[in-house]
Amino acid sequence: MSRPPELVGDIVEGIDVLLLFSPSGAYYERATDLEDTAVVVVAQENTVDADEFVELPLEFDDVRERIRFGVEGALSEGVVTDGDELGCAAPLFGDDIDMVTRTRADDSDHSGVYDLFANSRGEPGVIRDVFEVAIELGRKGQKGEPVGALFVVGDAGKVMNKSRPLSYNPFEKSHVHVGDPIVNVMLKEFSRLDGAFVISDSGKIVSSYRYLEPGAEGTDIPKGLGARHMAAGAITRDTNAVAIVLSESDGLVRAFKDGELVLELDPEEY
Amino acid sequence: MVAAQLDALTGPQFRYALAAVVFVLGLLLGYLVGRVNERVLRALGVDEAVEGTSVEQVVDRAGSTTVRVVARFTSWVVYVVAALVALDIARFSIQTPLWYPVLSYLPSVVVAVVVLMAGVLVGDRVELFVSERLRSVKLPEVSVVPMAAKYTILLVAGLVALAQLGVAVTALVVVFAVYVGSVVVFTLVATRHLLTSAAAGVFLLLREPYGIGDRVAIGDHEGIVQEVDVFVTHVEAEQREYVVPNHLVLRQGVVLVHEQQ
Repeated sequence: MSRPPELVGDIVEGIDVLLLFSPSGAYYERATDLEDTAVVVVAQENTVDADEFVELPLEFDDVRERIRFGVEGALSEGVVTDGDELGCAAPLFGDDIDMVTRTRADDSDHSGVYDLFANSRGEPGVIRDVFEVAIELGRKGQKGEPVGALFVVGDAGKVMNKSRPLSYNPFEKSHVHVGDPIVNVMLKEFSRLDGAFVISDSGKIVSSYRYLEPGAEGTDIPKGLGARHMAAGAITRDTNAVAIVLSESDGLVRAFKDGELVLELDPEEY
Repeated sequence: MVAAQLDALTGPQFRYALAAVVFVLGLLLGYLVGRVNERVLRALGVDEAVEGTSVEQVVDRAGSTTVRVVARFTSWVVYVVAALVALDIARFSIQTPLWYPVLSYLPSVVVAVVVLMAGVLVGDRVELFVSERLRSVKLPEVSVVPMAAKYTILLVAGLVALAQLGVAVTALVVVFAVYVGSVVVFTLVATRHLLTSAAAGVFLLLREPYGIGDRVAIGDHEGIVQEVDVFVTHVEAEQREYVVPNHLVLRQGVVLVHEQQ
C-alpha cells in the first residue's frame, strides 16, 4: 500500500530549484520553508515580495510556453544555472497551483523569448502592449475579415531611416502611445492601410504606412511565410528593433528579433 | 417675557411639562437627524472614501464605522441643545449668565470638530493616494513625501478649527506661511532646469520642429533623433546616445541635417 504522494513524489525528488508560477501569498510562505531548494517566483506581478522573481509579460495560456519562458527568464537573470534540475508548480485548470512538472535548465535550448521582452531596446511594457494589440486585432479582425499587421518596436530613428512613407503619415504630430485606450481602435482602422507601424522605445507611435527597406540578404525565416514576415525578419536584422507580425493568412502572431523567429502565438487561445 | 406671561396664566407645573415635551421632541429630532445624516453620508460615498484610513481603522477596532460615529455626534449635539432649551423653559439654572456664552459658543465648537474630523480624514486619504502613486519608486526615503502631505493638511485643518474657536492663531498662520513659502521656493530652485526643460519640451512636442528619425545637431551632438519627451531628447550617434535636456535644445538651437540623396 502506498499513497499517491509517494508514487508521484519522485517528480520533484532531488530538484535544485523550484519555480512557482503565480503562487498565492500563503503558498509562497510555505515554500520558503523548504530546505536545500531555492524558490523562484514566476508571475506577472511580484505580489508575494519574493527575492527571486521572474516577470511574465503575458499570461501565456499555453503552460509549455509559460514554463519555457520562466526557465529562460531564470537562466538569464542568473537565479538558475545551466544543468540545474528544476521543479515547476503552476496553475493549469484553476487559479491555484494544481500541477507539478520537472525539467532541466538547458542553455543550448534557447529560444530567446525572454530576451525578446527583457533585453530589447523597446521597454518590456511597450512590447507587451504591442503584443496585446496584435492579439486583439487577430482575434477580432477588421469587420470580421482577417487582417495582417506589422509592428516594428524600438530603435525608431534607425527604422525610419531604413524605410520610406507610402503616403502621408496619419500619426504626424500626434502623441499617442501604445497602451492608450484609444489606440486599439486607431490601430484597427489604420491596419487597413498597407505597410508597417513604427513604434519608438517608449511606445510612441511614430508612423504607420511605412514601407520597410532593409537589406534582406541572409535573412532566414521559415518557408511558407510571406513578404510581411520577410520584411519583419530583415528589419530586425538591420536594426535593434523587434518586429511583431500578425499574419493575414493563418492568423498567428509572430515575433522577430535579430532576424530570427522567436515566438509564435495563436490569438484565439488568449 | 413669554415665559413670564405663561407663568402668570398656568403656574410652574405647566412650565415643567412643556420643558419635558421639548426635551422629548429634541431627543426624537436628534435621533432622526442622526439617521438622515448617516443615510446622506452613505449616499455621498463617504464610507468608501474613508476606507483604509487610520481613522477608519481606529473606529473599526472600537466596533463602529466613521459614518456612524459622525452621525452619532450630530445626534448628540441636538440632544445637548434640546436639554439646554428644556432647562431654559423650566428656568432651572439658565438665569445665571454663565450659561449664555457656553450656549452661543456651541456652534463654533461643532464646526471646529467637523473641520478637524474632515481634515484628519482627508489627510489620511491624501497620504494613501500619494504613497500609492509613489509605490513604483523604489526609494525608502520617498515615504517622507506622503507624510509631509498628510501633516500639511492636518496643520491647515487644525488652524481652521482653532480660528473657529476664536483662539489667536496669527502667529501660527505666519509660521505656516513661512513653511509653505520655503517649500515652494526650494522646489522652484531645485527643479529650475526641469521646469525650463518641460516648458521647452511642450513647445517641441506641439510644434515638432524635428521628429524621430531626423538627423540633427544640437551643439556638439549630432545624430539621429530616437525619442522626444517632455524633458529630454535622445539623439543617437555611432556607438553613443546623447540625452539632451530640452532647455539646451532651445538655448543652443537645432541644426537639421539633410543628407544628400
